[in-house]
Amino acid sequence: MDGGELFPSALFRLGPLTVTSTVVTTWAIIAVIGLTCWLLSRQLQTRPGAVQTLAEGVVTAIEDAIGAVAPDHVKMLLPFIASLWIFLVIANLCGLIPGVHSPTRDLSATAALAILVFLSVHWFGIRSQGLRRYLHHYLTPTPLLLPFHLISEVTRTVALAVRLFGNIMSLEMAALLILLVAGFLAPIPILMLHIIEALVQAYIFGMLALIYVAGGLQSQMLRQQRKENSDAEGEQR
Amino acid sequence: MELSWSTFLLEIINFLVLVWILKRFFYRPLQDVIARRQRGIEERLAKAEEMQRTAQELQKKYQGRLEQWQAERQQAREVLENELKAERAQRQAALQQELAQQREKAAAMEQRRQRDQHRKLELQALEQGSQFAARLLERAAGPELEERLGEMLTDAIEELEPSQLQQLRAQLTERDTVAEVASAFPLAPEQRQKIEALLQEVLQRQLHCHYVEDPELVAGLRIGVGGWELDANVRDELHGFARLAREPAGD
Repeated sequence: MDGGELFPSALFRLGPLTVTSTVVTTWAIIAVIGLTCWLLSRQLQTRPGAVQTLAEGVVTAIEDAIGAVAPDHVKMLLPFIASLWIFLVIANLCGLIPGVHSPTRDLSATAALAILVFLSVHWFGIRSQGLRRYLHHYLTPTPLLLPFHLISEVTRTVALAVRLFGNIMSLEMAALLILLVAGFLAPIPILMLHIIEALVQAYIFGMLALIYVAGGLQSQMLRQQRKENSDAEGEQR
Repeated sequence: MELSWSTFLLEIINFLVLVWILKRFFYRPLQDVIARRQRGIEERLAKAEEMQRTAQELQKKYQGRLEQWQAERQQAREVLENELKAERAQRQAALQQELAQQREKAAAMEQRRQRDQHRKLELQALEQGSQFAARLLERAAGPELEERLGEMLTDAIEELEPSQLQQLRAQLTERDTVAEVASAFPLAPEQRQKIEALLQEVLQRQLHCHYVEDPELVAGLRIGVGGWELDANVRDELHGFARLAREPAGD
C-alpha cells in the first residue's frame, strides 16, 4: 500500500492481452502457493509434523464446512471451494504487504471469480443431474418464477463481485486517506481491521459460493426425493 | 473502477490453474495420506476388536473352566468331607473298641491285682498262722506228742491201699535193707519193736532199722527206706503247711 496507485495499472502487454499489477500479483500468489504445496507434498508422512498437521487441519476444516452444507458432494466440491477460500485469504491479506495491492481490490478479478462461481453452479448442477433436468428447476415451483430465477442468478453474481471488490478497495482507500491526513503509523488500527475484514470477506465469498453450488445440487435432490415419495405413496395406494 | 477484459480473462485462467495446482499438489496428496492413516487406524481398530473378541472368548472360556473347576472343587470337597466323616466314624468305632478293650483289660488287671492282694494277705495270714503254730507246737512238744504222732504214722501206714503198698514195694531194690528212723526224742524199745514189725509186714522184707535223734523235728518220726520217706513230725508238717500256702490256689 504505497498509496500511489488506487487502481491497478497496466504493466505490459502479452499479445492482445494487457497484463496489470493485479494479474502479476495473482501469478506471484499462485507461485508461492504452488511452491509451498509442492514442497509439502514431498514431505507427507503418515505421522504428520507441525506443517503437515496445519495443512491437514485446513483441508479437514474445509471438508467439514462443505459436508455441513452438501454432505453428499464433498469430494466433488472440495477443489473449487477450498481453492476459493485459500486464494481469497491470501489475496485479501496481500494488501498488508507494503507496495503490494490485493488482487481482489480489482473489480475485474472479483468479477472473474464471481463468473467462475456462476458457471460452477451450473456446471456442478448439470454434471450431477443432466442439462434437461437441471434447467427444469428454473420452472419450479411454477414457470411464472422463471424471470425471477434468471434475475436472481445475475444479481447474486454481480453482488458477489461487487461486495468483495467494494470491501477490499474501501479498506485500502480508507488506509490511504488516513495515511494522507494523519501521517505515518496512523493507519495501523485500519490494518488490524484489514486482517479481520480480509478473513471475513474471504469466508463470505467462499461460503456464498458453496451455498449457491449446493443450492443447485440440492434443488435436484429435493425434486428427486419428492418424486420418490409420491411414487412410493402411489404404490401403497 | 473499470472492467478490464484482459485481467478478467487472465484471472479466470489463473484461478483455474490454481485449482489444478492445489488439486494436484495439495488436496489429493493430503487426502491420500489422511486416507492411508485412516486405513491404518481402521486396521488397528479391527485388530484391536479382533483381539478384544479373542480376549472375550478367552475370558468366557476361562470363566467356564473356572466354574467347572469350582464345581469339581466343590465335588472333591464333598467327597473329602464324606471320606473324613467315614474315617472319623471308623476311628471313633476303633477308639471305642480299644477303650472297651482297655477298660476290660484294666478291669482284669484290677481283678488280678485284687486277687494278688487277697492272695498276698492270705499268704501273710498263713505265714503268720504257720509261725504261730510252730511257736506253739515247739513249746508244747514232748515225748507224749511224739508218741501220739508215732501212733498216727503207724495208723496211716496200716490204712494204705493195697495198690499203694504194691507201689511202695516196687520202688525198693534188693539193696534197700536199712530203714532210717529219725525222732526228736529217744524211742522206747516197745515203740521200736512195733515200728520194725510194721515195716517188715508192710514191705514184706527183712529190714534193719537205724535210729537217730533229730531235735529239729520238734516232735514225731521220719522213716526213710530207699527212695521213700514217711513223715509224721511237727517240722515237716509245718513246712508242708507253709509250702501248701505258697502254692497257687488253682494248683
